[in-house]
Amino acid sequence: MKSYFYFLLPLLLLIVSCEDDDDPVSTEAELSIAFRGEFGEDDLAIQSATYDYPTGEQLKVLLFQYYLSDLELLPADGGDAVRLSDIELIRWMSATEGPVATKTYTVPTGDYQGIRFGLGVKPELNAQDPNNSPADGTLNENEFWNASARYVFAKIEANADMEGDGVFDTPLTYHMGSDALYTTITFTQDFSLDGSNDPQLTIISDVLAALSDGNNTFDISDADQQRVHGGNQAIASDIWNRLANQFELEVR
Amino acid sequence: MQRILVVLALAILFFSASCEPDPPISCDTCPEEPVDRAISGPSTPLDYSLEVPDYLPAPILDEANPLTVEGIELGRRLFYDKIMGRDSAFACADCHQQDKAFTDGRALAAGIDGRLGTRSTMSIVNLAFNPNGFHWDGAFGKLWEQAIHPVENMLEMDEDWENVLIRLRRSDDYPERFRAAFGISRTSEITQELAVKAIAQFEMTIISADSHFDRVVYQNSEFFTEEEQLGADSLFFVEDVPVGTLHPGCGHCHNAPSFGDNRFKNNGLDAVSSLDDFSDKGLGEVSGSRFDNGKFRTPTLRNIALTAPYMHDGRFATLEEVLDHYAAGGHGVENEDPNITGFSLNDRQKAALLAFLKSLTDESLIEDSRFSSPFE
Ligand code: HEC
Ligand code: HEC
Repeated sequence: MKSYFYFLLPLLLLIVSCEDDDDPVSTEAELSIAFRGEFGEDDLAIQSATYDYPTGEQLKVLLFQYYLSDLELLPADGGDAVRLSDIELIRWMSATEGPVATKTYTVPTGDYQGIRFGLGVKPELNAQDPNNSPADGTLNENEFWNASARYVFAKIEANADMEGDGVFDTPLTYHMGSDALYTTITFTQDFSLDGSNDPQLTIISDVLAALSDGNNTFDISDADQQRVHGGNQAIASDIWNRLANQFELEVR
Repeated sequence: MQRILVVLALAILFFSASCEPDPPISCDTCPEEPVDRAISGPSTPLDYSLEVPDYLPAPILDEANPLTVEGIELGRRLFYDKIMGRDSAFACADCHQQDKAFTDGRALAAGIDGRLGTRSTMSIVNLAFNPNGFHWDGAFGKLWEQAIHPVENMLEMDEDWENVLIRLRRSDDYPERFRAAFGISRTSEITQELAVKAIAQFEMTIISADSHFDRVVYQNSEFFTEEEQLGADSLFFVEDVPVGTLHPGCGHCHNAPSFGDNRFKNNGLDAVSSLDDFSDKGLGEVSGSRFDNGKFRTPTLRNIALTAPYMHDGRFATLEEVLDHYAAGGHGVENEDPNITGFSLNDRQKAALLAFLKSLTDESLIEDSRFSSPFE
């Protein structure tokens, strides 16, 4: 009986203490943004799916990742952008994870006309060294080249079957990044957030679209084009440009 | 918020005050349970702040196991004390030996009675930087949960925790130390959880960051030899190579300053014909996905010259063999990491890469009295 009292007391206090903190009108909403990975028409499945490449080869994707900087909502009244995050690493690297990664942010309710982010690590953060980041931080050393090349902005890694013998023994690794490649991407689309019945925002990125736009397809059969790391950025410049151009925003 | 915290703390206090001490454990084969006695002595542990050199990332601290001076000291004793093993005859430190950067020089670990395990002993340095689960396959999410396992593993220390606890409670030294570290007041309050948390606190403090490499690159107090410089600049870290050229690219997975990204990869060891054929499934056993079979955690290469043999099963006796393996470029298995490409290495380059790997040895680690046996 006595223990009941001790249990109820703090609860009571809690309820009482909560009341005066509460705001009558809620001015903030929880916004969750879904990041969906695709390969052409399909959801991105790491390792488990076999994808056709436009020039006849087959691929198993092992890794797809990119950094986003300054993810922001653009208010409809043209006011200051609402910063959701300075830096995010969006990554698909495991067969046990689905195609959608979701991040949640607290934002002011209101009307918005779009969303904006920088693809890559913004120069201000790209100038920082990884030891400024905790070991499990977004900007840790694992995505860092070295003091001069700095952070790797995006990676696409796959094993390809080039000969059609069912053996995925040709590794492909495209590691891209440099201050010069940093690209701002803006979506114009109206939506309102009031904390209930808010729309679902999904940012879609397609690995295939980064490699091929239908007219131009990156030639993976050329041995000189199977690895792009650090210094050879020029080879991957069209992958980067297509990557930056293919993002889609879905508001439902 | 403040107010809520106070109320919560009060509630917890009330609750814990109304709890009875744990009932004594029963165990037929155990020595007779001693009387539960009150422990006296200091009971307010001193917070310990883990200092790491500024060229390392910030460590990942476990809020459920805050570090204290007394907790670390207790953990160190437990780590070195054979009373943790069957018949009081085997300690963690029998496999994790300081002079070998906390490994044992064996391909496969040997436990009590020389029983062979299935994997190679891991170096337990810089665990404070691992976000991804412990063991080669990441089976343990928290460091202190890991420490439960070697005690009861029949291929390692092969003891029942009940027996260990009885010995600890009977000891004329440990109860006071448990009280000093965790504020308990009776011997019956010495639990498995407190014992493994103390061990984990000690392990968290084992930071290794004073190698020749660190002194050259971060402390600017020494210089690389020409050979080491070649190994670092042109081989280990290098990415900036002529188009199409293959390169070792060790830094992809073993980047400085940690020299191991702690992620799970298939680095091309086994020529299996299907993903189901790995003799040790590694991460796949833990995640349940066949696509993770044959993936193991990328360990640190710090002190690598001290920790032979190499890989999860100790298959390579020397670093030369390790380099030959990477130069051969895997076996075209579909989940092999695509950064494993193979490369050519002439004798001079091989010597350079080896010299670089040897520059990662931290001579002070193996002498550091904070990490050595408290019983000697
Ligand atoms: C018989 C030898 C042996 C004994 C005794 C032993 N270990 Fe280990 N230890 C190993 C082996 C082998 C591994 C790798 C296990 C695996 O991956 O399955 C390991 C792994 C570890 C790891 C994981 C390191 C990492 O980076 O993930 C920690 C921590 C550890 N041991 C601590 C301890 C503690 C604490 C004790 C005593 C309670 C202990 N070990 C007793 C052989 C031993
Ligand atoms: C694709 C990622 C990757 C690359 C690239 C890579 N490693 Fe590793 N390394 C690993 C993984 C994963 C392990 C653990 C594998 C296992 O035990 O099954 C490992 C283990 C090792 C070990 C054994 C460590 C120990 O404690 O037993 C050494 C030594 C090593 N690597 C050196 C190198 C060198 C030198 C290079 C460059 C030639 C290199 N690695 C390139 C991922 C990589």
